[in-house]
Amino acid sequence: MNCPLCGYAFDEKALTCYTGCPMAAVQGCSLLCCPNCGYQMVDERKSGLAQWLRKALKRVTLEEPAEGEK
Amino acid sequence: MCTSMHCHSAPPALDPDAPIVLVGHPNVGKSALFGALTGRYVEVSNFPGTTVEVSAGRVGDWPLIDTPGIQSLYARSDDERVTRDILLARPPRVVVQVADARNLRRSLLLTVQLAEFGHPFILDVNMTDEAQARGLTLDTGRLAQVLGAEVVETVATRKQGLDALRARLDVPRPVGYRIRYDGVIENAVERLTALLPSDLTGARAMALMILAGNADLAARYGGENLAAIQAIVAETAARYGQPLSYEITRQRLRCVDCLLGQVVQDSGKPKTTWAEKFGRAAVHPAWGWPILAAVLVGLYLFVGQLGAGVLVGWMEGVLFGQWLTPVAEQLVRLIPLPLVVDLLIGEYGLITMALTYGIAIVLPIVLTFFLAFGLLEDSGYLPRLAVMMDRPFKAMGLNGKAVLPMVLGLGCDTMATLTTRILETRKDRVLVTLLLALGVPCSAQLGVLLGMIAFLPPSAVVVWGAVVTAVIFAVGWLAARLIPGPRSDFILELPPIRVPQVSNILVKTVARLEWYLKEVLPLFVLGTLILFTLDRTGALGALERWAAPLVQGGLGLPPETTGAFIIGFLRRDYGAAGFFTLARAGQLTPTQLVISLVVITLFVPCIANVLVIVKEHGWKTAAWVVAFVFPFAFGVGAVLNFVFRSWGVVF
Repeated sequence: MNCPLCGYAFDEKALTCYTGCPMAAVQGCSLLCCPNCGYQMVDERKSGLAQWLRKALKRVTLEEPAEGEK
Repeated sequence: MCTSMHCHSAPPALDPDAPIVLVGHPNVGKSALFGALTGRYVEVSNFPGTTVEVSAGRVGDWPLIDTPGIQSLYARSDDERVTRDILLARPPRVVVQVADARNLRRSLLLTVQLAEFGHPFILDVNMTDEAQARGLTLDTGRLAQVLGAEVVETVATRKQGLDALRARLDVPRPVGYRIRYDGVIENAVERLTALLPSDLTGARAMALMILAGNADLAARYGGENLAAIQAIVAETAARYGQPLSYEITRQRLRCVDCLLGQVVQDSGKPKTTWAEKFGRAAVHPAWGWPILAAVLVGLYLFVGQLGAGVLVGWMEGVLFGQWLTPVAEQLVRLIPLPLVVDLLIGEYGLITMALTYGIAIVLPIVLTFFLAFGLLEDSGYLPRLAVMMDRPFKAMGLNGKAVLPMVLGLGCDTMATLTTRILETRKDRVLVTLLLALGVPCSAQLGVLLGMIAFLPPSAVVVWGAVVTAVIFAVGWLAARLIPGPRSDFILELPPIRVPQVSNILVKTVARLEWYLKEVLPLFVLGTLILFTLDRTGALGALERWAAPLVQGGLGLPPETTGAFIIGFLRRDYGAAGFFTLARAGQLTPTQLVISLVVITLFVPCIANVLVIVKEHGWKTAAWVVAFVFPFAFGVGAVLNFVFRSWGVVF
């Protein structure tokens, strides 16, 4: 993903917690921090509602007829 | 035009115990590479005197150290200081820089700094598969030739390219590439190198780090030449209009861009012209301000009118007022215990207060705000907003490095408090923490406050905005006077302006709403329980009487607002929701609502923020911050009330 603040490209799956972050002790913290600038954002992968919506949107997109089928 | 030179020094005599040192930016795959090279025998320990973790293992017969991820070697943070000191402590067998192939410009900026140490060096370009997927083609052979160093490509997560890397560890050689800076800096480097101990490794790197502001190195290695070193730094700095670290980075970047042009081919699509034009206008010293004003007005209308007006009206009046609350009341009244009934649907009931505030009032407002904020993020405007904010902070005279935590505070004050670590002195860190706690609302709180003020006449909104801005400027100006030292620059790479994807914004908003409800609702419930307990024990009445001289006399507010201030200690948006409810019930006039909102905006953001201040600065400092912020907020409110009364201001 790209950081919305500084545009830095990083792999959110490979993120490790910042040294000394008090949230680091909480396993399953639902926040992501950009490794470049520190900008904080909510981790969509840890939101059940977001996962559901993402799948639903994907389903709707896939069900749309292709240009040739219209 | 960049200039560089090549040094062909002979490989140094190898110390069999000298470690291989892994260096790189955070999250470039360093840990994956470390794991792949060492297997499972890993020790993790704190670097002496710090809380920074350093991993150690072995590759064959050689020790391997995995340093913390860093942005540069300017030692602006503990992580950077530890990595710098590891490189200076003893000559390593070889420095392996793990570079992110997708962000090669940033990686090469670190490469040219590492090259200045003169240590044996290998550049490991990692994640090349993802770079190729993005249309980037890297000529590693050419890069190795230009750098005069070993360059290998790896995909550490798939263990690709590791054999080639291991083979190069056997025959390390110093990197040949050196940047030739302009005459002033080269002259200063030469003079500084002569004043440093002759047996020092990496003297050129150290001279440049001292020039860039690493005063601790000058003190550590300068000895009797310290005064002469400081004089050279001051004399060189006086030759430029900007900090030396900025100037050195600028010259390095010029060389890096030159390097990139020779080794990278980007087959990506060209940017659209309108986006480029808008992107430039958004940070233009003149055009940037009307664009910023238009964005803020749009935000205010969307959140205030649609969120706090239409949606809250429906949720509170129809969904809760006509359906949910009456049904809940019918059901709860079946419970034979009056205390439980009161706890659920009384004046300070969990349903009538906590859920109504949290879901009927706050949820629609943050929903609209998160939608708008997602649009700002995904369009690429947010970093431009940060650049525009940099200017007023500079006008305050505040240290440029303080801008980043302040901008990040708009995301979350709690996390922004952590980033104050990039500031050099404890005094800087405490003052910026104080400013964050005092006047920077996080995105969710900004949304709620924006929703509340939408009910006020435009003149009242202007007064609220002017008072809060004036307070932040006044405290910032004062902080700038108290913080000594040179200014530094705020450097941010601007991503292109793009059309956001609606589906992404929707998913992001839903994720934020879920997180917000998970974090906020328990606090709302806790605050309501506190109020309920205080009410049942009679303590709330006593508190209202005790606070009457301040709340009624000083602020000119009715005694019922005492409860909103109490819950405002937990989260200031919860307190604001309390004022909002009182105002809609006709218990607060618009003038009183302005005073209430000014006071609550200047409160400490939330209890989590206080806990992070404790963690970062200790109980004593946290107590000082809290002891300053709350009386200060009430003091500003009292002055505002006095001014309104004296001048007969009514909204």
